[in-house]
Amino acid sequence: MHTTMQTILRINGREARLDHDPRITLLDALRERLGLTGTKKGCDQGQCGACTVLIDGRRVLSCFSLVAAVEGEVTTIEGLSGEDGPLHPMQQAFLDRDAYQCGYCTPGQIMSAIACVTEGHAGSPDEIREYMSGNLCRCAAYPKIVEAVQQAAPHMRGETA
Amino acid sequence: MPTLIGQPTPRIDGRAKVTGRASYASDEPVANPAHAFLLTSFIARGRITGFDFAEAKAVPGVLDILTHESVGSEAKPPKQASGGPTTTTMEDDQVWHDGQIIGIVLADTYEAAREAGFRVRVHYAAETPAASFDAAGAERERRDDGEHQDYAIGDAEGALGAAEVTLQAAYATPTQHHNPIELFTTTCAWENGNLTIWEPSQFVYGLRANVAGQLGIPPERVRVISKFVGGAFGSKGGATARTAWIAVAARRLGRPVKLVATRDQGFTIATYRAETRHRIRLGATRDGRLTALVHEGTEVTSRPSRYNVSGNETTARLYACPNILTRVDIVHADRNTPGFMRAPPETPYMFALESAVDELAEKLRLDPIELRRRNDAKTDPVSGLPFAGRRLMACFDEGAARFGWADRNPRAGSMRDGEWLVGLGCASAVYETNIAACAARVSLRPNGTARVEVAGHDIGTGAYTVVAITAADRLGLDASVIDVAMGDTTLPAAPLAAGSSHTASLANAVAAACEMVRDRLARAATTRNAGPLAGRDPGTLRLVDSCLTAPDGVAEPLSDAVSRLSPGVVEAFAENIPDGAPPDAMGKLHAGTNPILRGYKRSDVAAYAFGAQFVEVRVHARTREIRVSRMLGAFAAGNIVNPIAAHSQYMGGMIWGLSAALLEKTELDDSAARYVNDNLSEYHIPVCADVRDVEVMMLPDDDDRANPLGIKGLGEIGIVGMNAAIANAVHHATGRRIRELPIRIEDLL
Ligand code: FES
Ligand code: FES
Repeated sequence: MHTTMQTILRINGREARLDHDPRITLLDALRERLGLTGTKKGCDQGQCGACTVLIDGRRVLSCFSLVAAVEGEVTTIEGLSGEDGPLHPMQQAFLDRDAYQCGYCTPGQIMSAIACVTEGHAGSPDEIREYMSGNLCRCAAYPKIVEAVQQAAPHMRGETA
Repeated sequence: MPTLIGQPTPRIDGRAKVTGRASYASDEPVANPAHAFLLTSFIARGRITGFDFAEAKAVPGVLDILTHESVGSEAKPPKQASGGPTTTTMEDDQVWHDGQIIGIVLADTYEAAREAGFRVRVHYAAETPAASFDAAGAERERRDDGEHQDYAIGDAEGALGAAEVTLQAAYATPTQHHNPIELFTTTCAWENGNLTIWEPSQFVYGLRANVAGQLGIPPERVRVISKFVGGAFGSKGGATARTAWIAVAARRLGRPVKLVATRDQGFTIATYRAETRHRIRLGATRDGRLTALVHEGTEVTSRPSRYNVSGNETTARLYACPNILTRVDIVHADRNTPGFMRAPPETPYMFALESAVDELAEKLRLDPIELRRRNDAKTDPVSGLPFAGRRLMACFDEGAARFGWADRNPRAGSMRDGEWLVGLGCASAVYETNIAACAARVSLRPNGTARVEVAGHDIGTGAYTVVAITAADRLGLDASVIDVAMGDTTLPAAPLAAGSSHTASLANAVAAACEMVRDRLARAATTRNAGPLAGRDPGTLRLVDSCLTAPDGVAEPLSDAVSRLSPGVVEAFAENIPDGAPPDAMGKLHAGTNPILRGYKRSDVAAYAFGAQFVEVRVHARTREIRVSRMLGAFAAGNIVNPIAAHSQYMGGMIWGLSAALLEKTELDDSAARYVNDNLSEYHIPVCADVRDVEVMMLPDDDDRANPLGIKGLGEIGIVGMNAAIANAVHHATGRRIRELPIRIEDLL
């Protein structure tokens, strides 16, 4: 069994037509086929959150999503800001708060953090801790991640108001 | 003179990290790579008797399957930094441990390689393995003096016999795996007989020399690139077997090969922190002066390796005690070879010592901080040398005041907040101050920007920014105009990023290169006839605010000073060999050996960083759930280059301590000698909701006996006192003394 199938993905405002192995995950497609390596592989088992992307604004583990089954607009870390342009408020907050060390979990944390705010789960530090607990950070930047979400949340709400 | 060293500076690589543009090894684009999937052994001891590839090779897209039968002679095992020989992989049919690399499937896609990997049948002649300490067949030996030493100072046994008060206790720590979130990846490509390796590494020069040696080619033909590392903690310091085999695969296919090993494979193809056991015996006077200290450790290693951490080289030096005895035994089992993991010696051994000191304080009815004060060493108890700064008690005093230690009721089980039993605990932290030889190149341009090149490693520590700050400080520029290149063997040689030494090693080398630039500019400005600084003493001129400046304020713009020497750039290359390091240190570095000067092996001073760590735990009265509500660490670790990243490093280390004390343990299936919880949902590390208040205090500690910039390093000390501080706090909350980590609900029922 070695069939190839074709899927049209909408990613960061563009369309990508992909001929692919039916077994390929969204994560591997982003990284190995589309050059979007900002989304990271930390486990490939849905356990770490490093591969988090947004699909129609909802956080999704891309290692757990088959390309063939993706429906909707995919946003990856690369889609949040231009090369030299201003950063998304959540990116800026991670930078301002030193909410990372190695930076490997960071794209996933940022995508999750954006959804945490838009879901309405950034009301208090306790709530942020709870709703950010699906993204592991082995460098343990957690207290600063909570601060970053607190910093960015009002800016994000202001933008959408 | 204002200095940038010590000013909070946002990371210069921060933007790359938050935009996804930071390029980790497996992110680097290579043209048309084949994908590799590792075959690993399902037995822990025995031989491979045959493979059956029929089904696997039938998977469309499979290119080749490599095993010892096809490529066994093409690479030798990598050299270990410590402990001598290690287990082999595809050299022959022998299996040393579960999960050993025994083959590589190569295919056009990852999906095909993985599927074929699961379709390979392997036949074994299996033997019964020994998993750990007590297994039949495990071999115990006393560790020789060599890399590490036992100490026998005074007469510890005699002093114990005569002591007014004694304490004897046994402690144990579990197997732990680093589990950086980035997986163990390797990409190899050949071009005209030259090999390029993209692999996350804490030591690119070490990996280059190792792989060259394994393949039998000159190191100049190998280039290693590792610009960003997604967490390491020791796991990416030594060469592992996978790299050379991926290079062999790429050579055979005539095509780049990319490996992204799976999370579970990471447990067995790299290293880990081995389980340890300790027996501690303390003798003291009734008023709390130590008269005897005996610390005996036992550690697990693989069959061929003698790797051990011997952390009683540290515990013997922390407190003033006239009679000291240490010993380490190692136990060989059918396991992969362990290796460095964050504060390798101190994490397990200081758990034992600092728990025992707390137990002794209780026995003496003394406050645990007061007991430590009475035994604060004025000189290194082993060597008699002075310390290059020792602010241990200052850390306790300032930390205790901030933490509110005075409000602690000393009686165990006496503090309560509703349903929760509250416990406060503390412990000392200590970590040796290390530094290694390092080279750096600095180029200063007339437009007032500069570039620094050094093959260092940013493993999350903020090394890029440390280099920029140091150069900016010395060149009189802003850190944002310094362009830093690291993580590539085409750059000047840098040592292993480990042992909390990298900031000191890089910064001192970069400062030396900047000084050469300053010196050349100053000489030219003072010896030529023209210009405002003609005739001045060049030694007094400094680079400040984009000018070359004399002490009286007369200054020349940097652009003029640079153009006088060159229409292009002024460049300097410096090699910094620390005082006391062997003169051939740079040669060693190029040969892939880390030329480190350890703080306790110096002949002038004993160089250490110190800290005091405080923890508040809450244990639920009925369910016995354990939460850490507050942690505070007060540290005196030399000059801090960047307080922002330093804070993150300390905080991360402290949370690692929480993790080690309460969560982390690699569980072993004793009959199969196999790691059971080899994934991130069953190998527990903290999540965001596990971490509450973490406070870090950085005390001034300026002592240039440590090294010219007075940098002591702080990547590891944050974890060192945490295990014991938490165990001591749990005891204070509940009255239960837990001597084996991790501490779990079931221990407190
Ligand atoms: S890589 Fe997807 S959750 Fe870990
Ligand atoms: S920053 Fe390293 S894993 Fe989160």
